[in-house]
Amino acid sequence: MGIKGLFGRGLFKAGSGAIATLALSAAMTAQAFADDVKQTLGQPTDKAMGWQLAGSDLKEKTEWFYNDLLFPIITIICLVVLALLVWVVIRYNKKSNPVPAKFSHNTLIEILWTVVPVLILVVIAIFSLGLLRDYNNMPKPDVVVKATGNQWFWTYDFPELGVTDVESRLREDAKDMKTAQKAGVPYLLEVDNPLVVPVNKVIHVQTTGADVIHSFTIPAFGFKIDAIPGRLNNTWFKAKKIGTYYGQCSELCGKDHAYMPIEIKVVSDADFDAYIIAQGGKTRAMLASEAVASAAAASAAAQSAEAPASAAASSSAAATSASATPAGNGAAAAH
Amino acid sequence: MSSHAASHDHAAHAHEDHEHKPGFFARWVFTTNHKDIGTLYLIFAIFAGLIGGAFSGLIRWELAEPGLQVFMKGSMLDQMGLFNLSNPDHAKHAYNSVVTAHAVIMIFFMVMPATMGGFANWFVPIMIGAPDMAFPRLNNISFWMLVAAFVLLCISIFTPSGPGGEHGFAGGWTMYPPMSSHTGSPGPAMDLVILSFHLAGASSILGSINFITTIFNMRAPGMTLHRMPLFAWSVLVTAFLLLLSLPVLAGAITMLLTDRNFGTAFFDPTGGGDPVMFQHLFWFFGHPEVYILILPGFGIISHIVSTFSKKPVFGYLAMAYAMVAIGFVGFIVWAHHMYTVGLSFDLRAYFVLATMVIAVPTGVKVFSWIATMWGGSISFTVPMQWAIGFIFLFTVGGVTGVVLSNAAVDYSLQDTYYVVAHFHYVLSLGAVFSIFAGFYYWFEKMFGVKYNKWLGGAHFWIMFIGVNLIFFPQHFLGLQGMPRRYIDYPVGFSYWNMISSVGYAITAVGVVVFLIMCLEAAIVRRKGEANPWGEGATTLEWTLSSPPPYHQFSELPVIKEDDQH
Amino acid sequence: MAHPGVKHDYHIINPSPWPLMGSASAVVWALGMVAGMRGIFGIEKGQWWLMLLGLTLICLTMVFWWRDVIKESKAGDHTPVVQLGLRYGMIMFIASEVMFFVAWFWVFFEMALFHGHRAGDHSAIEEVRTAWSTWPPAGVETLDPWHLPLVNTLLLLTSGTTVTWAHHALQKNDRKGAIWGLLLTVILGAVFTMVQFTEYREIAHEHLFHFFLFPDAEGATGAANLYGSAFFMATGFHGFHVLIGTIFLIVCLIRAINGDFTPKKHFGFEAAAWYWHFVDVVWLFLFAFIYVIFGGHH
Ligand code: HEA
Ligand code: HEA
Ligand code: CUA
Ligand SMILES: [Cu+2]
Repeated sequence: MGIKGLFGRGLFKAGSGAIATLALSAAMTAQAFADDVKQTLGQPTDKAMGWQLAGSDLKEKTEWFYNDLLFPIITIICLVVLALLVWVVIRYNKKSNPVPAKFSHNTLIEILWTVVPVLILVVIAIFSLGLLRDYNNMPKPDVVVKATGNQWFWTYDFPELGVTDVESRLREDAKDMKTAQKAGVPYLLEVDNPLVVPVNKVIHVQTTGADVIHSFTIPAFGFKIDAIPGRLNNTWFKAKKIGTYYGQCSELCGKDHAYMPIEIKVVSDADFDAYIIAQGGKTRAMLASEAVASAAAASAAAQSAEAPASAAASSSAAATSASATPAGNGAAAAH
Repeated sequence: MSSHAASHDHAAHAHEDHEHKPGFFARWVFTTNHKDIGTLYLIFAIFAGLIGGAFSGLIRWELAEPGLQVFMKGSMLDQMGLFNLSNPDHAKHAYNSVVTAHAVIMIFFMVMPATMGGFANWFVPIMIGAPDMAFPRLNNISFWMLVAAFVLLCISIFTPSGPGGEHGFAGGWTMYPPMSSHTGSPGPAMDLVILSFHLAGASSILGSINFITTIFNMRAPGMTLHRMPLFAWSVLVTAFLLLLSLPVLAGAITMLLTDRNFGTAFFDPTGGGDPVMFQHLFWFFGHPEVYILILPGFGIISHIVSTFSKKPVFGYLAMAYAMVAIGFVGFIVWAHHMYTVGLSFDLRAYFVLATMVIAVPTGVKVFSWIATMWGGSISFTVPMQWAIGFIFLFTVGGVTGVVLSNAAVDYSLQDTYYVVAHFHYVLSLGAVFSIFAGFYYWFEKMFGVKYNKWLGGAHFWIMFIGVNLIFFPQHFLGLQGMPRRYIDYPVGFSYWNMISSVGYAITAVGVVVFLIMCLEAAIVRRKGEANPWGEGATTLEWTLSSPPPYHQFSELPVIKEDDQH
Repeated sequence: MAHPGVKHDYHIINPSPWPLMGSASAVVWALGMVAGMRGIFGIEKGQWWLMLLGLTLICLTMVFWWRDVIKESKAGDHTPVVQLGLRYGMIMFIASEVMFFVAWFWVFFEMALFHGHRAGDHSAIEEVRTAWSTWPPAGVETLDPWHLPLVNTLLLLTSGTTVTWAHHALQKNDRKGAIWGLLLTVILGAVFTMVQFTEYREIAHEHLFHFFLFPDAEGATGAANLYGSAFFMATGFHGFHVLIGTIFLIVCLIRAINGDFTPKKHFGFEAAAWYWHFVDVVWLFLFAFIYVIFGGHH
């Protein structure tokens, strides 16, 4: 048979192989830890083994859900399976247990290993759906931006603020590792015209694709939403801190898929207004006062009995855009 | 396993009167013999696995460091002249087309041919006590149709695709339009891929009709479904998944084909169509597909674990029906691949819950394997090492699947390397480990010679270390946000990518050891025994000689009730 | 039973060249398709001879292959257990065909019930309601289901009865009846195809909605295009299956005339009949959903 005596070697091999693997991974991990990975907010950090630093409450919740619930559960499951395997290997190998048992049933244990996973999953599901609801219940927006994916750059609009077609591309000097280092910008992440949004404000993001599907994401904010031609998708985030946050297109969109990063600059309210004006738009304050004025004009016109149709039309248009309900689809936003 | 052959020595019997083998050409090309067809499939799978593995080598080589090193003008790859890397556009496109081809080759031309084509053809008829498959001639066209599909795929790799004439379809194995429609891939390469999928699909549909009929109609007297070995059960369920999911894919890619060439507008928003529609149709096939890839592996592992523990499978019926349950639920969870496309809340919530359900029957399988070993008298043969490795690594891959099933977490992980890590743990460390386990388990039976145990063990340990080193760090990359299908990445992802590529180098050594093992066995030709595994090996194949007679069971075995469950 | 010493009733088939020929033909056909659609290997786009060559080879393969099957059947290889296997095989094949049509219906329902989904801001129920009220899309004039489609429905339903007649006749060894039943079924099938063709011509002529073959349809807006795509591909694939079924029945007719079937053993016929019923049922679904329920105003 040739198996006789093999178990000794098998066990030895098992042991040494496992030790080698463990040693290797321990060494890797140790090195990663030894370098004391200190993460930078808004971008990936080398040797880090977990999430990027969270930049919004929602992402913090996601991290909590993963780090404090899912990860412990899956680790324990894996360790339990591993421990059982190791125990079986040690206790029930040919030498320790020359005569095999013959049982093949045990109703109690079978019920247990069906019911316990169900309970675990129920716990996971409760938190999971709660979090999903948090993502889904979009608070009223302070600012709406529309991000359009193009091969291979993003265009940003602030539909209500009159800013359109801000083209955002990977910056020349970020295309090469050396020049990026010299310019002090992160390789493959820095863009020429970042998306600028105010801090601590609810930002609604609407996405669509101009040619093929792209996907808009910022890991630090924990959202990802596909930019699909013919659809308008919706999601939201609220940045907690002023700073620069990077993401990368996350749906295969052709040869330069890896070269259409997303950069969001989170700034103060004042800086945001300045940015909008610089882009030729109108700030929210300006729009609000205009709305008041045109409403007054409209009612004046109505009093003069013959309200010109055009005025009414324009005022109602202003009203709708100010109320800022995205025209967009149900999708992430609506339900 | 679940039943004993009541019978006598078929081997001796069959040798007398049933060895009229046809001549070489007729035997191997016109073959209608399930064992020969199985062997052809296995050779094909190994060949495809080497190509797919080489392609993944190009991927890992490119990703070893940030910046471009392989897919660029003047690189070693360029000098080999296989791909057109003459300008950066072609080179970047070539990377994506290699990733696409890697996935398609590994899934459709390596794993499926190895499990359903190779092992199922070889052993389902034998295990159920049948002399051959129900439709032996159809069986042959399933094989050659797969070769035909492979030929088309290979041609497509060197055919213009991109807008600038770049070669090879580069839209990922998921083929989402508009990347795969005229907009994204105007050249003929994608049409070749579509037709390749049509042929591969036809091959698999015919194959699954064959398996279902064989299993329903040709079980030996006394071999009830509830006494049937678990591998046959796994193939039965898999065949149903193929039969019911592939035609939907065929419909979807037909729509893609007419969108591309005949002006229909199914997935074209300018014509009122919807790209997301394709994703639904694709994943309605695609998710069952991933269970198609793993279920036969489940069957193989059950046999190995039971054989080398010298114990019957624990909870045989639960094991069989767990697979049925996985197959069934597998059809109603597809949109967990689509959490970011803008589904309604209700839909996402439903798919979260439905997806998590699958962990339960899968858990039943994992725990039952362990319970099978419990109390056993285990010998650590080479196949058993692969099987134990499988159980652990598949669990690791499975639980990250459960992480991904939570839509809210998936927003952060979708299309990152966390997903890549997940599916390689279940595929490259799950399905592939089960294939190697089966290969060593049945090696002597199929080829009639013994393999070198030391080489087999070395193969296992080198691969075990290698693939873990490749894919475990990819979880870290995913959590940090590294997107998949990227030829290049920010420096923040350097360290773990390097480790991952080092892991590939180790894995490659393992694959070489595998080839040496095959070669050594072919050269030394240690004569195989009918049953090298002893009392634990209870299924019918071990009652035959190694290799089995050209036609087995000229007299059908009779299966008697046994007391094992 | 082919060999002495074989003590089972299964059919061990001799090596056959047809599978290889079939696969090679499939490659030729596929390359021919790509050549015709796109141009490849120096063959210009729009040239379909390579595809036709492949198609011919595929048809020849089928002829050779099934001729062998018929020969084997006559040689007595199709024992009862083998026949049962053929039955399973045919049922499974039809099951896979059903799933193929699921894809086309899925697309149709998705667009009929959820086309508002991409543009509106509703709950699922509202979505369906608005979608319903705006269906079929503007610019689409649908067909009156109670005209030609009804004729076709009646044709197919009748053909279902004639094929059953043929079956009963076969079982009673009434060869004449069987031949008549089959002949009528074939004729009804052919008439169906002709009516379908007429209907397509009418759509093209009246520019009812857009399809690539009649791209000049007026008001061929996006939605009209999608409607045309779904309508023609679903009914077209059904029509294609009617054609296959008709050919299958013609083969049976010829075999019946040659005296091939016996009251006990005529699975070739039964398979054709099953297939015909399947085609029939698919039509009923097409008629009910595409023509009547989602037919809107015409
Ligand atoms: C063999 C193939 C295979 C298998 C078996 C699985 C199994 C599972 N997969 Fe995986 N998956 C893929 C192949 C596979 N997958 C591929 C190829 C992709 C990517 C496709 C692409 O985009 O290219 C993918 C992607 C993928 C996604 C989408 C990710 C994304 O793109 O964002 C999701 C999300 O839900 C998912 C979930 C699951 C789940 C829940 C399982 C479950 O079946 C796992 C169940 C198993 C276990 C859980 C372990 C054992 C159980 C126990 C020990 C019991 C106790 C456990 C618990 C209580 C949790 N998979
Ligand atoms: C079965 C499926 C399978 C297998 C085995 C593998 C194996 C490997 N894969 Fe692959 N991979 C995929 C399926 C698979 N992969 C898929 C579906 C994708 C997604 C593509 C997309 O985005 O569209 C992907 C993508 C993918 C990526 C992401 C690329 C990107 O997003 O840019 C990477 C990167 O590291 C990678 C690496 C590897 C490596 C290093 C291996 C190594 O493990 C390879 C080592 C070689 C082997 C393990 C094969 C040995 C087998 C044999 C020699 C045959 C034996 C046969 C018999 C005994 C009969 N793969
Ligand atoms: Cu844009 Cu990927
Ligand atoms: Cu899935």
